[in-house]
Amino acid sequence: MQTVFSVAIDALAYGMVLFVISIGLSVTMGLMRVVNLAHGAFAMIGGYIASHATHAMGLGYGAAILLAVAGTVAIAVPVERLLIRRVYGAPELTQVLMTIGLTFCIIGIANYAFGPTLKTIPLPEALRGPVDLGFRSIAAHKLFAIACGAAAALALWLLVEKTAFGVRLRASVDNAAMAAALGVRTRRVYALSFAIAVGLAAFGGIVGAELLPIEPYYALRYMVTFLVVVSVGGAGSIPGALVACLLLGAVDTAGRYLAPEYGEFFFYLAVIAIVSIFPDGLLGRRRR
Amino acid sequence: MTGRRRKAAALNPLLRDVAGLAAIVAVAVAGYWLFPDNLALLTRIIAMALLVVSLDLVTGYCGVATLGHAALFGAGAYAAGIGAVHFGVTDPVAMVAVGLVAGALAGLVAGVVMLRGRGLGQLVLSIAIVYLFHEAANKASRWTGGSDGLAGIAPDPLLGLFGFDLWGRTAYVFGVVLLVVVVALLRVLVRSPFGMLCRGIRQDPVRVAAMGASVDAALVRMFAISGAVAGVGGALNAVSTQVVGLDSLSFTTSAEALVMLVLGGAGSLYGGLVGALAFMWFEDFVSSVNPFHWLTVVGALLIAVVLFAPAGLYGTAARLLGRLGAWLGARLGARR
Amino acid sequence: MKTILRSAAAAMVLGGVLCGAAAAGTIKVGVIGPFSGPFALQGKNFKAGIDAYMALNGATVGDDDVEIVYRDVPQADPAQSRALAQELVVREGVQYLAGFYFTPDAMAVTPLLEQANVPLVVMNAATSAIVAQSPYVVRTSFTMWQTSAPMARVARERGVGKVVTVVSDYGPGVDSETAFATTFAAEGGEIVDSIRMPLSTTDFSPIMQRVRDSGADAVFAFLPSGPTTLGFVKSYDDNGLKAAGIRLLAPGDLTQESDLPALGDAALGMLTTYHYAVSHDSDVNRAFVAAARAAIGNPAELSFPAVGAYDGMHVIYRMIEATGGAQDAAKAVEAVKGMAWESPRGPVSIDPESRHITQNIYLREVARADDGTYYNKEIAVFENQGDPGLKAGR
Repeated sequence: MQTVFSVAIDALAYGMVLFVISIGLSVTMGLMRVVNLAHGAFAMIGGYIASHATHAMGLGYGAAILLAVAGTVAIAVPVERLLIRRVYGAPELTQVLMTIGLTFCIIGIANYAFGPTLKTIPLPEALRGPVDLGFRSIAAHKLFAIACGAAAALALWLLVEKTAFGVRLRASVDNAAMAAALGVRTRRVYALSFAIAVGLAAFGGIVGAELLPIEPYYALRYMVTFLVVVSVGGAGSIPGALVACLLLGAVDTAGRYLAPEYGEFFFYLAVIAIVSIFPDGLLGRRRR
Repeated sequence: MTGRRRKAAALNPLLRDVAGLAAIVAVAVAGYWLFPDNLALLTRIIAMALLVVSLDLVTGYCGVATLGHAALFGAGAYAAGIGAVHFGVTDPVAMVAVGLVAGALAGLVAGVVMLRGRGLGQLVLSIAIVYLFHEAANKASRWTGGSDGLAGIAPDPLLGLFGFDLWGRTAYVFGVVLLVVVVALLRVLVRSPFGMLCRGIRQDPVRVAAMGASVDAALVRMFAISGAVAGVGGALNAVSTQVVGLDSLSFTTSAEALVMLVLGGAGSLYGGLVGALAFMWFEDFVSSVNPFHWLTVVGALLIAVVLFAPAGLYGTAARLLGRLGAWLGARLGARR
Repeated sequence: MKTILRSAAAAMVLGGVLCGAAAAGTIKVGVIGPFSGPFALQGKNFKAGIDAYMALNGATVGDDDVEIVYRDVPQADPAQSRALAQELVVREGVQYLAGFYFTPDAMAVTPLLEQANVPLVVMNAATSAIVAQSPYVVRTSFTMWQTSAPMARVARERGVGKVVTVVSDYGPGVDSETAFATTFAAEGGEIVDSIRMPLSTTDFSPIMQRVRDSGADAVFAFLPSGPTTLGFVKSYDDNGLKAAGIRLLAPGDLTQESDLPALGDAALGMLTTYHYAVSHDSDVNRAFVAAARAAIGNPAELSFPAVGAYDGMHVIYRMIEATGGAQDAAKAVEAVKGMAWESPRGPVSIDPESRHITQNIYLREVARADDGTYYNKEIAVFENQGDPGLKAGR
């Protein structure tokens, strides 16, 4: 039983990190109908800025997070304006190609600027080392990741359900044309949501840097995982993304505990099974 | 239209195809004479070109975006390799046949699985398929050599006369012949009613279904054919490089194939060939300078193609030539 | 116009003559390794070792100039490796092939050695079976058996009875696991669980949980040197295994000098067995380290692939001497069989039967130097270790 709890905690930590990074992708996909394969690249940029801030500039962890999130948003907004906006409404293949091209560029630039080796983000004293939970020790940064994920989920829920912006966001997701006709500034909503999505991705990249190490191929390596989360959870659905992350985190972690040599085999089998049974995702809405 | 004009119109596509095939042969011969030390690279380009052409069938003609097509290529490569190493099937033509069948089967499986999804889900299914094939090949190391790769593939001399040596001449000629045969057959296919149906599916699947045709059945059939072509490419790779590695089943190979297709222009088969040649030649050249900048260049190229030349190199060139031809025709017609 | 054409033609002829003149007496050595991508540091070490040797011994052997031609294979990619090797032989006309960080890359090249009449000097790839693939393969690095088997003896000496092995699921990982398990069992120990994890694993907590559940006294681990070892060692610490007294034993790939700064305190006290530590106390090593550090730029990046490359060049130079600069693979390999010399790592020799390097294996502990940097301190030595892996029929 203790083992089950133990595996569950690990699954929760991994799932939460995935959630924080992927929720932004789910929102942009649901809202702007853009298959953005460059989302992982933004998480990576956040990680790199934080790493640079702590190593080269000597900032503390909290300050580094703020700087990294702000920096990533500052980079992402012009990229969205100039490049991604051009493929709204384009066929899916075009969006895939554009965003893959963007990802390749970012990988190349990251390698050029920071080199091909792993970058670490040194944790503050409070988050280093193990925390004794009684039945086992767990890395403190994992508890922090779980807390951040929960906080992000709560904050998003509050934003979407309880604020005026949330109302406008939901309206734009459901029927953009009608919302625009009713006076909702959809362009603004898109821009703001994109900024929030990218900021969350950067935050997730930093918080999850121990689990998903920062190196130039990060953008491509975990892109598949983020895409899987969004397609399993259903684009545009926050509870769907949460369920998907936890489910996939559980499958992956349990698989790695029970049969590590089979590794990703079970994960991808599960993905095929879920997507086959729920083509719009677990909690996604059917698109017209 | 007069009878003469109608006949000319019917002859036109046939002439174009013959011209296209002749162009391929001409380029191949030029390659043989101009780069006698580089034939191994050129043969690898031909194998990749077959993968890109098979991807074109599914993406360019049927409109299905997939990032998992290397699974079919790798299936053919491994089948040919396993046949040679474990079952003694060392005749090169037999190896290619084995690859063809394996690729077709893999294509069938991929098609059936992928059709369960829509939009992003379909894309994710394609990625899951290629990763699954990759993991399966990795685990079945007794057959596939696992991460060490399948080495020791020793094909017999072609036709009993021409051995596969270090200089790669036999492999190159073999590859060119395969390529010409495959492209010829495929050109016939895309002009057949089946090919038309697939193009209709790309443009409007709902309408095609309303017409009474089965969209899924057509797509699965196209996937099988596409798999066969990819399998031939994989087998060619196994025969010429005599080694099969896990990278032939990788997501990166799939992504690169898609890049090559888009670069050259989807939907015409020749675009795929142009894209593969241009991309791999460029890669060989730039990689020796600085391999990591290569990724940035590819990314920038991709963005540029998407924004400015969505029809790709071949597509844009064809369009320009078409316009030039029409302009010339108008001037000449006016003269008369 | 005519003048331009004429001068261009003249320049071309002159260039051709010059090229021709330079080529007569240049021996090309093709080096294939990871010079970009996640393992770029290892390729950099290859280059540093080669540059160091040529700086200390000159770039000429007899009348011939030695020219190194580098080709990049960023990851284990047997098809690309073979294609590049073929290109090096056919296009560049190399007389020697060397390098190879990954086993699959080396394995894929062995079939063409005979036809090409080119010997292969493996500077890193560590699977025992490579030398058996062709009589023209010589290795100057190590094998997983060579470095892992002594660790089993160390474990028994220190009273460890039960061990769980955790390795990355690929050639060298499996080799390492078999080497340790066989030796450990032969010495009377018990392997309670063996876990093989995918190369791409980054979250090791479930694995650590299984280690805990197995009830072992120690865990023997092998992962490829570089990005993943950091995560593993940190996870070992974070999940309380270090605190619970479960020892971590590993071959030296986990405590590669270039990774030690990032590992920091988490690695202190770790015991590893390996063929080379940068801190090895000998004059030959000090000269090597000075030259290699100058070549590599950042001294913290110097690590074991450099010494494999350094000794590989030594072997190649002796081969060139023996053949008088002619291309004769059989003669070259014959000449270095049984050759012995003092390498930066200690005394070494090439075993005449297996053509693999016989060397000392050291037990090291990660310690902190007075200037605050971390290093592998050699605390015991197993002398003249061959490759038990070949005898075990691998």
